[in-house]
Amino acid sequence: MADIGRVRIRIPSSIKPGDIVKARVLVIHPMEIVERKDGKPVDKNYHFINRVIVTYLGKEIAQFETSQSISENPFFSFSFKATEPGQLKVTFLDTHGGKYEGTADVKFA
Amino acid sequence: MAARAWRGLVPGASIIVAALLAAGCAQGDTKMVAPGLPPSPWISRAVPEARGDVKTLPDGKREAVRYRGWTKQDFGGFRTYAYDDPRPEPPPGKIAMPAGAGDPKKGRSLFLNRNLGPCTGCHLIQGNDVWPAGNVGPDLSTYGNRNLPDEYTFNLIYDPRHVFPNTLMPPWGTTGALKPDDIVHIVAFLKTQKGPLPPEPNPERNPVTRPKPVGFGDNLDPTNNPAVLRAESAEALWARKGPAGKACADCHAGGPRAAMKGVAARYPQYVAGYRRVMAIEDFLTVHSPEATGLPLLAEGADNLDLTMLVKMASNGMPVTLDLARPETAAALARGKLSFYKRVGQRAHACADCHTTAGAKGADKFLGGRLLANVEAGLTRHFPTWRTSQADVWDMRKRMQWCMTPLGMNMLAADAVEYAEIELYLTAFDVGKPMNVPGIRH
Repeated sequence: MADIGRVRIRIPSSIKPGDIVKARVLVIHPMEIVERKDGKPVDKNYHFINRVIVTYLGKEIAQFETSQSISENPFFSFSFKATEPGQLKVTFLDTHGGKYEGTADVKFA
Repeated sequence: MAARAWRGLVPGASIIVAALLAAGCAQGDTKMVAPGLPPSPWISRAVPEARGDVKTLPDGKREAVRYRGWTKQDFGGFRTYAYDDPRPEPPPGKIAMPAGAGDPKKGRSLFLNRNLGPCTGCHLIQGNDVWPAGNVGPDLSTYGNRNLPDEYTFNLIYDPRHVFPNTLMPPWGTTGALKPDDIVHIVAFLKTQKGPLPPEPNPERNPVTRPKPVGFGDNLDPTNNPAVLRAESAEALWARKGPAGKACADCHAGGPRAAMKGVAARYPQYVAGYRRVMAIEDFLTVHSPEATGLPLLAEGADNLDLTMLVKMASNGMPVTLDLARPETAAALARGKLSFYKRVGQRAHACADCHTTAGAKGADKFLGGRLLANVEAGLTRHFPTWRTSQADVWDMRKRMQWCMTPLGMNMLAADAVEYAEIELYLTAFDVGKPMNVPGIRH
């Protein structure tokens, strides 16, 4: 799949201060799965996302540790409380040192 | 593939004239063909499982080649949409009801058996284990109160066309889907369905009170519809050079979104170069090998993905068809005939489930599934993501899937017959905005 590391974030278009907001995040990533040879897992540095960090208004609000059990082009959704306008940033780190970021602006209508 | 006698489809008196002319022609002469149909058999350029092939096993049994996980049963004994299939609809059959008492218990389990009808796909009966029942046919929960003669009920199931010539119920006995003894058990069971009915514990059990599905949200949101990602992956294919040294991008400048803007809104259309109606999928199977050298087999992932990318460039634009063109008009007329043609073991027509006039099935539940209505438009969101299959399906695979449980051997995905049915369906979408890829159950 093209555009490895392309991050897309969707948040609702109309948000009021104090709302609990659901963010939907998708990243393009192969999320390499375990190979097996003669029934045994092949030992190698598999390419998959192992950490997801969410920051809002510059502060880290969530961190996820992820494994190979997650599908390719993984999709995450989580809720947060929109207190002030500002930036929501989601960072994906993978086992090959890749760092992929996406941002969304929280705006109040 | 057998040589196709397209001329057989010319409506009216011209059938005889055309047939006589063709019969008099030596091989290699220009044959008379109906307008809009290719003169020679169409060679399928589909992936092997989508060609509708039937193979003969070493033991002489015949096995249909279909997609992985689909039935291999050969329905060669029943007629299809193929234009060279001259078989008529099987005439209504009638037999004397076998003697002997039926077993209501056996009858009920036959009624619910998913490998047969299931009868509950269309008819509601009593019992909280009846799930999911449909309402395409009448509710039979109190059928026993009507005190109809056994012989009448038996013949209604064996072949309802004696009583209701325009019924959408299959002739279960005539085509051998149900054995006469099984029908005797079902008759015995139906007699036990008597009122008064207990209060309904669950409104979802009864298809009349069951809420209708609400859909799956924004189909163009890549975080919601995986098909959008697949379409985007075709941008690499757009730029990939084939063996002929060229890529799509070399002739169609400006990127797929600009170069293909509005193109898909005009499909399916009659393509003069190939002398047949084609959808985008069909056109790619012939155009790509000629222009780039890359095969884009129908129902292959590359074909589907590129089709979506091309169609997405027309999203929001109204569907238009050039119906003034004689070839298109003739194809549309044939597509309509196919839409109303009863095919397969169940002698069903598309119209049985997808139109509303005359108590047909559209907008009703077939089992748990709500049947789509042709007038709402069935084509402008295809190829579509199917949540139940976790895959992208185009219109043709959807059609092939539809006719498999109906007991018809499928045609090749890129068959002219399908293209013309798709053209007919698309006529209901004219003026409505394209919206690809869709997301459906």
